[in-house]
This record gives sequence, structure tokens and C-alpha cells, in this order.
Amino acid sequence: MEGMVRKLIALLFIAAVFTISHAEAGNVVLSDEALGCLQCHSRRGIIKTFENKEYLEAYVEAEKFTDSVHNWLKCSDCHTDFLPGEQHPDRRFASREQYKIRTALACRRCHNFEQINNIPLHTRLLSDEEAGNPHPCTNCHGSHAVKPVSRKTYKSEEQYCLNCHSHKLTMEFRDGETLTLKTEVSSLQGSVHKRISCSDCHFGFSHSSHPQRNFRSRRDFSIANSETCRRCHFDKYTKTMDSIHNVMLGQGNLEAPVCTDCHGSHSILHLGRERTLIANKCRTCHSVVYEKYIKSVHGKALFDENNQDVPVCIDCHTAHDIKNPLTLDYREQIPDMCSNCHADKTIMNKYGISTDVVKSYLSNFHGVTLRFYRKQREELDKPAKQIAVCTDCHGIHTIISTRSAAPAIVKARLVKRCKQCHEGATENFPDAWLSHYKPTMASAPLVFIINQAYRIFIPFMVIGIVLQILLHIWRYTANK
Amino acid sequence: MDENRIRRFSAWRIVEHWVFTMIFAVLVVTGLAQKFYTLDISMWVIFRLGGIDYLRLVHRYAGIACLAVTALHAATALACVASGRWRPSMAITGKDFSDVVRNIKYYLGIKGRPALCDRYNYRQKFEYWGVLLSAFIMVATGLVLWFPIFFTRFLPGDVIPAAQVMHTNHGLLILLIIALWHIYNSIFSPEVFPVDPGMFTGHISRERMVREHPAELARIEGKTIHEIIEEYNDTKIRERLDLN
Repeated sequence: MEGMVRKLIALLFIAAVFTISHAEAGNVVLSDEALGCLQCHSRRGIIKTFENKEYLEAYVEAEKFTDSVHNWLKCSDCHTDFLPGEQHPDRRFASREQYKIRTALACRRCHNFEQINNIPLHTRLLSDEEAGNPHPCTNCHGSHAVKPVSRKTYKSEEQYCLNCHSHKLTMEFRDGETLTLKTEVSSLQGSVHKRISCSDCHFGFSHSSHPQRNFRSRRDFSIANSETCRRCHFDKYTKTMDSIHNVMLGQGNLEAPVCTDCHGSHSILHLGRERTLIANKCRTCHSVVYEKYIKSVHGKALFDENNQDVPVCIDCHTAHDIKNPLTLDYREQIPDMCSNCHADKTIMNKYGISTDVVKSYLSNFHGVTLRFYRKQREELDKPAKQIAVCTDCHGIHTIISTRSAAPAIVKARLVKRCKQCHEGATENFPDAWLSHYKPTMASAPLVFIINQAYRIFIPFMVIGIVLQILLHIWRYTANK
Repeated sequence: MDENRIRRFSAWRIVEHWVFTMIFAVLVVTGLAQKFYTLDISMWVIFRLGGIDYLRLVHRYAGIACLAVTALHAATALACVASGRWRPSMAITGKDFSDVVRNIKYYLGIKGRPALCDRYNYRQKFEYWGVLLSAFIMVATGLVLWFPIFFTRFLPGDVIPAAQVMHTNHGLLILLIIALWHIYNSIFSPEVFPVDPGMFTGHISRERMVREHPAELARIEGKTIHEIIEEYNDTKIRERLDLN
């Protein structure tokens, strides 16, 4: 009971003090000294030039100063070199920055080191200062318009963070690398994430908390930071768990890409809108493949004609669960990848390409054998041999149109391809392949004629035999 | 020896028949699994044999066995016919064509009795030559498909898909002929049902010889063909022939 009363009294007291202080804030009386200084310094045009030709206007907005938390101070409390009624001292500064650093030292006269260091946000800045990189208080807090942090009103968290992070801040890693912590407002504005707050990604950071972290290298920092993406993009994150990049990362290859390497950090864009961007992202590491790709029929169409139908890297390799393309598993998926487009009539009709290419592959020796091998691996868990898939004849990243060269040249190239598996194949051998076409009288007369002959002959024989059998049974029963 | 049974096939012919039957069965099962590869039953067969590669090996070696049996038979037949040990009873003659017409007329009730056939009737000759020729066609096209690189050294490339089309179609044709014609004639035909014992015991009844191979029976027994016809036990035929 007694405690309650004490608390009540304490609350009343606080409320009273609060009301009085606010009543006072309404009609602030500036010091005589300040009023005197402001007679000149509230007017524009007083210029202080530094040795590097930078300059500063010695102008104070009277209104803002009146509104500031320091309005009760005399000017000379901070500008200690200047004493009322005396001549302004003649001081020389190398640069504006040096001036700011010198002037901001005045803050320490009242706000001692321990007091400043108590705020986690300041700890890094102070340790940086010890290393010879001073951060003037005024960079963040302002000078004449300084307000208590509690009374500062930020429109957004972003604005709060940018208060410091729009300045040249750096972070040092154990290996001596540094990373600038300066964030460009323009990149944030252009990002697809412009509506989310800084702490949505930089979790652990807030108005009151600014965790101290200790990374070995800049790369370690990037990898650790990319973990934040999964908090929203969990589906993509689980996919990346299966990707070759993640496997390589797990094996200790820190160069393997994480989310931010492809998507960027503060300037995240929709990559899907402009497919050349995708190819260019992969190029960062896979430049050899990229050079081949841009010369291929698909790459040329993308870069020269801005054709958005053609596949880019992720259409075959996928974006997130990128598999090792050298495995048998991947190889056996290749016809499926190609048929994603090449079995689609709406796409192929635009370019006059037959969708029979996929069907004819799948129903021919190579395609049928591939089908068996796939099933065998699934159900018997037997290692399968390699069998020709699309890329073995058409090339992988170097795919060119068969129409881009004379038929004789195409055939000569085809013989070479055949020989890779069929040792000793001759000039005639590629003709065994009906070039993805259904046999017709014009394209393959021999095959066509034999097929047609049997189409007539088999039903003829079967019907003839069945009729004979029926007649025989009929005669037998009639004779009984 | 039983008077009512006539020896038709020697032990060698019976062994030959059943060896060929087994080879044929292996070829049909492994061949159909490849032809109708989308069916579950095909997958089952392939997996039983340990995968498509083994199935193809089995099919090819069965093909070699088929060639061996067929070639051996053809050589034996040629040698025996040439040396006079066998009558050329499988030779297709003009009578076979008239027998077809005669039998169709008999089935339709136009003629009173069926054709008077010799050791082999036209149906048996058709099956025999069909199987023999098909075996050579299947082996030839099969070899082309087995060794495409060798054959394209001196043949144009489109021989390979042509051989493929022929192999697959002809295989189906011969299977249908055997499954319908041969199985009917030797099992389901009411004249032999439940089974023709010829290829089990080598003998068939004298009664069947009278009806099906009267010309041969007449030769064996030194009678005229009319004497044999008179033994017809089929009442309807006897009525129509006025033999009673």
C-alpha cells in the first residue's frame, strides 16, 4: 500500500515537472550573448573560406536555434575561441572537414566519453576515432538545430538509419578489408524492397540496439547477411539448399554465390523483366560459357533482337536449385528442358520450327533408350550408360541453327558428332537418322513405301486368315 | 504298329520344331517389349531381364540362334531333297492354288468335298514358307540394325530406318500369322481340338490322314485316292458324294 502511494506521488511529481518544462518551452529566452551574435549571424553572406578553397557560410537559423535543445547555451559555450566583446580570432583550417572535427570537439566538454560510449551506436564510431578516423558529432546530430534524440521525429526507419548511413561510414573486418556502410538513397528507391524497413532485413538492429559483430572477412559478412533473405523467401531458400552453389559453399568454396551476389543487396531488381540481365549476372563467374552463349542461335536472338522467347541460363539450369550439369541425372533431363519450348506450338510456329523434333527424338532409338535408362535408374537403381540427348548433336551453349549453314556442311558436322559415339561411322551413316522428320515419299521414300506396304498387308493377312477360320468352323458345324 | 496311326514326323523334326518354338517365343517377348515400349508389361519384362541392354542382348542372341536353326533346316532340306531321300513335298505347285479355290467353294457349300491334299496342304505350305522366309527377313534386317556402321559402309544410310520399319512390321505380321493361323490349326480347330499330336508323338490318326492328306495316304498304302475317299466317315460329305 505504502509502495503504491509512493509511486503515485512520484508520478504526480514527474507530471508536474513535465508540465512546467513544457510551459517554459513555449517562450524561450535566448541568452544576451546569443542575441548579440545573431545580430550578424542570422544574416546570410558571412563566408569562411578554408585553405583548400572550400567554404562555409557562418549563418545560423535563429528559429531552429531557438527550437534546439541547446537554446539556453551561450554561443561561446561551444565556440570557445570566441569571447563576447572581443575580436573574432583569425583561425586557419585546411578543409571544411577539419573545421567540423575541431569545432565538434566542443561537444565533449559537456558530453563526456563514458556518456557517449554508453550508446551502442556510438561505440564503433568512437573506436574508429581512436584509429584516427574522427566522426564529428555534428554529422549526425546537427549543430545549431541539435535536438534530444527522444524528441526527434523520423518519418521512417529508413530515414533514421540514413541519418548516419548516408555518411561515409566504414566497417573493418579481421583480415583488414573494409566495407563502406554508406547507403545510396537512390538505390533504395529503385529497389523492389523500397517498401520494407531496414530492420526487416538487418534484424537485430533497431533504434536502441546496434549489435557489434566481428567478421573474418568481407565475404563472410556477405554470406552471413544473405541468410536474412530466407525470412521472407523461404521457398527460394529451400531450393537453393539443393543447388550446386550451396554444395560448393558447404565444401568451403566461399566464392560460390549467395542470394545477394545475383540479386544485389540494397538495389534488388526484378531480373525477369530484362532477360539479358540474367545472362549478365551469370557471366560474372561463368564468362567462358557466356561468350559461347552469345554466339549461339539463342544468345544472338536475345542480344541482337531482344527476343524474349529464347532461353537464358536459368531456363535450363533453373535459378535457385541449380544442379550439377555434369551428372547423369541432369543429362537425362535435357530433352525435357528443350521440349519446354520446342514442343510448344505457339512458340515454335513463330519461327517455323516443327514440334515433331521432340516427338521424333523420343520415339527413335536414342529417345527410347534414354527412357529405359531413366526408368531403370529409378526402379532398379542401376547405373545407366550415356545415350545421345539433344545437346550431343546440337551442342550445349554453342547451339546454332541447322539452317545457318549449307546442308553439306551440316552433314559433315553431323558425321563428326556421330563418330563421337559410333566409331567408324561413314558419310552414309547420318542418313540413318531421318532428321527429325516423319518419313514421307519425298524425304525417305524407301522407309515410307515399306511402312505403307505393311499397313496394307498386315490387315489384309489378318482379315483373310480370320475369314478362313470362320468359314472352316461354319462348314464343320454345318457338316455335323 | 498301330494300324490306326500314321508316322508323320521323325524325332529330329519334332526337336527342331520345339527348339524353334522356344527361340520364337524368346524373340516375340523381347521384341514386343521393345516395340510397345510404353506399356507397363514391357517395362516389367525389361526389368525382369535386368534392363534394356540385357534385353537387347538376349534378343540378338536369340536372333542368331534363329538363324542357326533356320539355316540348318534349310541346308538339311536342300541336301535331302537333292539326294532323293525326301520328296519335295513342300514345293508349291499349281494344285495348291486350285486347292485354295476348291476349299473355299467347299466351305461355302458349292462343292461336296474338300481338296484332296498330299503330305502338306496349302495352309501348311503357307505357314512353312511364311516362317522360313520371315526368319531370313528378320535375321537380315536384324543384322542391319545390330551393325549399322558396318552396313552403311556400302549401303545408303536410309537402309537403317527402312530395316527398322521392316523388322518391326514383319515381326508383328509373322506373330499374327502364327498366333491366329498356326495356333488355330493345331489347337483350336475342331478337327484337332484339344491338340494336334503330330508334333508331340510324331503320329496322327489314320482317320485324319483320310480327311486331310488322302493323296499321301493313298501313296503309303498303295491304294487309289478314290478308295481312300470312300473311307470318309463324315456323314454329310458321304451323303453329298453319294458314297453310302
